[in-house]
Amino acid sequence: MSGIDIETIKNSLDAQLGEISSFQGLEECRVKYLGRKGLLAQLTSSIPTLPAEQRPVFGQQVNALKNKIESALATIEASLVGKAGTASAGPTAVIRSGVDIGLPAVAQGVGHLHPITQVMDEICCLFGRMGFRIVEGPEVETEYNNFTGLNIPLEHPSRDAFDTFYIKNAPKLLLRSHTSPVQVRAMKQAKPPLAVVVPGRVYRPDAVDASHSFMFHQVEGFMVDRGIRLSDLKGVLEFFAKGIFGQEINMRFRPHFFPFTEPSAEVDISCKICKGKGCSVCGRKGWLEILGSGMIHPNVLRNVGYDPDIYTGFAFGMGVERIAMLKYGIDDIRLFYENDMRFLAQF
Amino acid sequence: MKFTYSWLKDFVGVHIAPGRLADILTMAGLEVGSITPVGNDFVFEVEITSNRPDWLSVVGIAREVAALTDKKIKVPVTARAAYRIAPGASAKQFRIRIESKKDCPVYTARIIRDVHVGPSPAWLKERLEAIGCRSINNIVDATNYIMFAWGQPLHAFDLDKLNSDTIVVRRARPGEKLVLIDGQQKSLTGEVLVIADTSAPVAVAGIMGGKGTEVDERTQHVLLEAAVFNPVVVRLGKRVLGLQSDSAYRFERGVDIAGTEYASFLAVELIREVAGGKNTVSVRSPLLEAKAKRIRVSLAAVHALTGAKDISAGHVKRILSSLGFGVKAHTKGSFLVEVPSFRPDVNLEADLIEEVARIFGYENIPTTLPPIIPQPDVIGPHELVVQLKNTLLSLGLDEVITHSLIPRDILEGFDPGSAQAPEIMNPLSKEQEVLRPTLLPSLIRCVGRNLNQKQEYVAVFEIANIFCNAGPSLKEELFLGVALCGRRSLWLGEGAVQDTPGFLHVKGILQIVCERLGIKLQECAFVCTAAPDIIEAHIGRLRVGVMTRIRREILERFDIKNKDVFALEIDLAKLFSLARLGKKFVPWPVYPEILRDISLVLKEEIPVAQVKETIRKLAGNFLEATEITDYYKGKQIETGFKGLTVSCRYRSSERTLTDAEINALHAEVLRGLTDALGARIR
Repeated sequence: MSGIDIETIKNSLDAQLGEISSFQGLEECRVKYLGRKGLLAQLTSSIPTLPAEQRPVFGQQVNALKNKIESALATIEASLVGKAGTASAGPTAVIRSGVDIGLPAVAQGVGHLHPITQVMDEICCLFGRMGFRIVEGPEVETEYNNFTGLNIPLEHPSRDAFDTFYIKNAPKLLLRSHTSPVQVRAMKQAKPPLAVVVPGRVYRPDAVDASHSFMFHQVEGFMVDRGIRLSDLKGVLEFFAKGIFGQEINMRFRPHFFPFTEPSAEVDISCKICKGKGCSVCGRKGWLEILGSGMIHPNVLRNVGYDPDIYTGFAFGMGVERIAMLKYGIDDIRLFYENDMRFLAQF
Repeated sequence: MKFTYSWLKDFVGVHIAPGRLADILTMAGLEVGSITPVGNDFVFEVEITSNRPDWLSVVGIAREVAALTDKKIKVPVTARAAYRIAPGASAKQFRIRIESKKDCPVYTARIIRDVHVGPSPAWLKERLEAIGCRSINNIVDATNYIMFAWGQPLHAFDLDKLNSDTIVVRRARPGEKLVLIDGQQKSLTGEVLVIADTSAPVAVAGIMGGKGTEVDERTQHVLLEAAVFNPVVVRLGKRVLGLQSDSAYRFERGVDIAGTEYASFLAVELIREVAGGKNTVSVRSPLLEAKAKRIRVSLAAVHALTGAKDISAGHVKRILSSLGFGVKAHTKGSFLVEVPSFRPDVNLEADLIEEVARIFGYENIPTTLPPIIPQPDVIGPHELVVQLKNTLLSLGLDEVITHSLIPRDILEGFDPGSAQAPEIMNPLSKEQEVLRPTLLPSLIRCVGRNLNQKQEYVAVFEIANIFCNAGPSLKEELFLGVALCGRRSLWLGEGAVQDTPGFLHVKGILQIVCERLGIKLQECAFVCTAAPDIIEAHIGRLRVGVMTRIRREILERFDIKNKDVFALEIDLAKLFSLARLGKKFVPWPVYPEILRDISLVLKEEIPVAQVKETIRKLAGNFLEATEITDYYKGKQIETGFKGLTVSCRYRSSERTLTDAEINALHAEVLRGLTDALGARIR
């Protein structure tokens, strides 16, 4: 029989437990009593040395003591955690598992997708769910596809909205000023029904400032079939706008003019910042313009060889930067092209 | 365009709060940008779309307001005879000669004698100044007032400063010059339409008057011009001369030919009121009687295009009539609509449907969803690019988006360089001189900027089109560019190690990109070019990519000092053409492998590829693969030599190999390496 007995342990226990004031003390106490070579383990290992008739009773006593110590330690631990706040859960884990979990994680750094790409993918994905297919087109375009085919006369003030970069020594070639020329390309290549979205880069000779860039991104979309209506355009764009800005937003369609649609509409959403009350972001209007749209002009349909008496369709186009700026609260368009890691890492 | 609330009330009895009126106009397509209180009045600023020249007048906006608020427009009724100028009238006293009816469909001139030029009365001054038009004198102000109210630009000449009793409307002749009322002298060209007397131009038609014939305080007699000029000619003229004016703004959008004589008449009335005088002579060029446009519109088409079944025949009739269209019932459910001359934008049934929908209210059109058109599931370049971007992100690269237009000089030292870069005809700045034929300069610029922002390690990629001159045309191709620079600290749990990227890091990216497309790196041949900093990657006959260590002198231009940038550029069209996207399961081998490691020391200049190739030849068919598991140079190895550990995996697909036979085979390999490469086995 070893020199320890259950009564001595019991007697000194309360005093010992009362002295615990730190996680370290707690752990030391746990090791002393409950560790692999602790006092209780020693008691247990002494069982075979006892007379057979004493063993069950002694075993039960040891177990009862063990339970008592465990629950006392748990109570003390809880109070220590409570004192130190939740952060101290860490050090306990350290001690128990043998690792300092406060050290940096071992993890391969993963890169970041540019916010413009993320927003553009999100837009395309929303339309994809409604059956739209992604088509892309070249950035260097013909004057015909960029203007004439879209019912924009060469010498008309409606072209003022589309200042354009031209390519030297390449007559009639330009950098597309919108993604709409892909409408002409896609419709010439296929017959209705057609539902297409076109993401891509576009270019306009604008002086650069916080809200203008000479290169930016658009997503164009259009659908052509028998019996496509303005009400369908409203439905599709509502699904889109609520998908990207949240179900709680309101939207409105305002008559507007675009040479390639008739009727035409601009689409506004209620300002997320002031909830429609009017603030500096929305110019005190309570509404934010997000895109232009309309029913494809019969002349455009005719230009691609569709019979406007049989087919109708709608089209819309939006600036990705504008949507990303509204969505993420970015106030300077130049941030997108500076590619500062501190910017990219936030997305 | 600006107008005041009180001015609008001259034309329509509207009693709505200005804010509410602004909402109504905005929702009808006449977007009100701002309302500013001025005294007891309000100034509205509206954005006029380029298809609606009729809205560039207070009366035009009043017409819209009347239609939207169910009011009648208040226009003074004037007998036609009072303002029409009989053809040939006064032809003996004054003549108009028009070179081309196309350039100038109508020209009217009225002579007003004995005017008293002076300041305008307060009401006139206030109205003009409220909308941002500077008051000049009573004559000029009267012409401007009528223009803003009615949309017809007018011009007053000092009659005594004209050298003849003939007005000529013609194209300018080469070499002719004109000093304008703003003092600028302009050289004229054949593209410019001018108003001239018999000797020289006196005004640029529809754009700006000349200094020499302007009305001033000494003017006694006035020639009042009211005409219509070709929109395209005015547009070209103002561009050639670099001019802009309220008059040109209206002419290039289209001025209502039917209103010209009336506006001229009203201007005379106003001049007489504010400056006295007497209209003695009135002449006009012969009018071409324009046929009114008639368009059929059916209720069925209105429903089909809008989806709004609530629109009734009554709506169609009422709305179009209120906007000034002549509406007659045609067949059952359709109307024949006569388009007023002030609506050049309405030419098709769809245009009429827009008018109906606009006034009916877009907000009253229902919201529906079209049937979904199932699309064939095609994996195109777009889908591959999405996949590729995800792969690159997982390798720790950040995506960047840089401009496709670049300054020419940042291409120096790159291939392709500025000779291949398509040039922009009309750049606004140096930043837009050329389209980039390579992504690398933009990526290096991005690296440089980030290093300047104290980043230690920059690893970026961009996927974008590049552009190259190709004879008379132009090539546009999708490329991937990658740039790595700096030192990365890798935390490994027991501490951190520093990793500086090099060619092998770039190779690793290429390898994983290829693997994801079903292309094995073993298919890739690396070709060193004459330039020591460039390694080309060829697959089959295609040069798919180039790995580069950017030269230090180039990096200095990007403000990168004492650091290397390693870059990779891949032609994605070529790479994607090699992709094997269909996946097929391959069962793993049935029989066990036998592994044997070789540690050898050999001359530094013997390439690893040659070692592997030698082993392959010596080992024969049982060699399944070799893998380099260690490589070292340095203290333990003598100079000019390197240490290499190659792990050889032997296997047969038909039986279990025995240790004995592999030991024999492997011994052959070791001997062969010693003999062929002079390698020392360790």
